[in-house]
Amino acid sequence: MKVLLVDDSGTMRSIQKRCLNKLGVNDVVEAEDGRAALVAFEAQKFDVVLSDWNMPNMDGLTLLKEIRQRNQTVPVIMITTEAERSRVISAIQSGCSDYLTKPFSPEMLQEKLAKWVSCVV
Amino acid sequence: MSAATATNCNLTAQCVNPVITATKSVFETMLGCTPVRSALSLKEGTTSCYDISAVIGITGKASGTIVVSLKLQTALQVLNRMLGIEATEINREVADAVGELTNMIAGSAKCHMEKLELSISIPNIVSGKNHEVHYPSNVQPICISYDSEIGPFAIEVGFSESR
Repeated sequence: MKVLLVDDSGTMRSIQKRCLNKLGVNDVVEAEDGRAALVAFEAQKFDVVLSDWNMPNMDGLTLLKEIRQRNQTVPVIMITTEAERSRVISAIQSGCSDYLTKPFSPEMLQEKLAKWVSCVV
Repeated sequence: MSAATATNCNLTAQCVNPVITATKSVFETMLGCTPVRSALSLKEGTTSCYDISAVIGITGKASGTIVVSLKLQTALQVLNRMLGIEATEINREVADAVGELTNMIAGSAKCHMEKLELSISIPNIVSGKNHEVHYPSNVQPICISYDSEIGPFAIEVGFSESR
C-alpha cells in the first residue's frame, strides 16, 4: 500500500509515519503542504491520502477538491484539529472519504485505514 | 478592574473549561499520561511560568491567546513520548513537538466554542529562563497549573471581545 501523507508539521508527519510503519505500511510519501502533495499525486499512484487541513500555500480542503477533480475514488482521510460540524460538513461535501480529529491514537488511525483500504488489518 | 476588563475576564473564564477538557484529552491520547490540575489563578506579570512556551493567537467573535508553558524536563518528555526521540536541551524537534501539542489543545478547545467561530494561528515558540509573554492591557489571563508524570506545566488563557 502506498500512502501520501500531507502535513506542514514535521512532528505530525513523524507521528503518523510511525503509526503507518506499525501497521506494516512503509511506502509513505511525505508532503509539507497541499501544493507539494498535488505535485506528488499527479506523478505517482497512491492507495490512500492522509491530509491535514491548515497548511501554508495550499490547505487540505483545496487539496481535496483538486484531487477529486483528478480522481474520484482514491480514499482521502482528513486528519485535523478542525472538528467543528461546519468544517466536517464542508469536507464531506468536497469528497472527503473520512475524518480523523487530532489528537488520535495509533488504534484510531488503524481503524480509519482498515475501513478504507482492505489490505490493512 | 475596568468594566471592559471585567467583561473580558468573564469571556476568559468561559474559555477555561474547554481548554481544561482539551488538555486532558490531548495529554492522555498523545502522551499517555493524565495531567492533574494543581492550581487555578489570575496571571500576574508577564514572566512565563517555565522554560519554554508555545503561544497561539485566536481570532473570531472573540480574540485571545493560549499559552502552554512547560518546564524543560516536561518539554523533553513531550518529544520523547510523541516521537521516541531523546533530547537534552531545547532544539527544533522539541519546539516542534511542543508547538504541535499546543496546536492540538487549542484546536480541540476551539471545537467546544463553535459559536465564537474561532480561527487559530500557527504556534510561536518562546524559550529561555524568565521569558515574557505580553497580553493586551485589557485582558486578565487565567493560569491553570498542572502536575503530570512527565513534569509540571501551565496553560494561560486570555480572551477579549473582538472589536
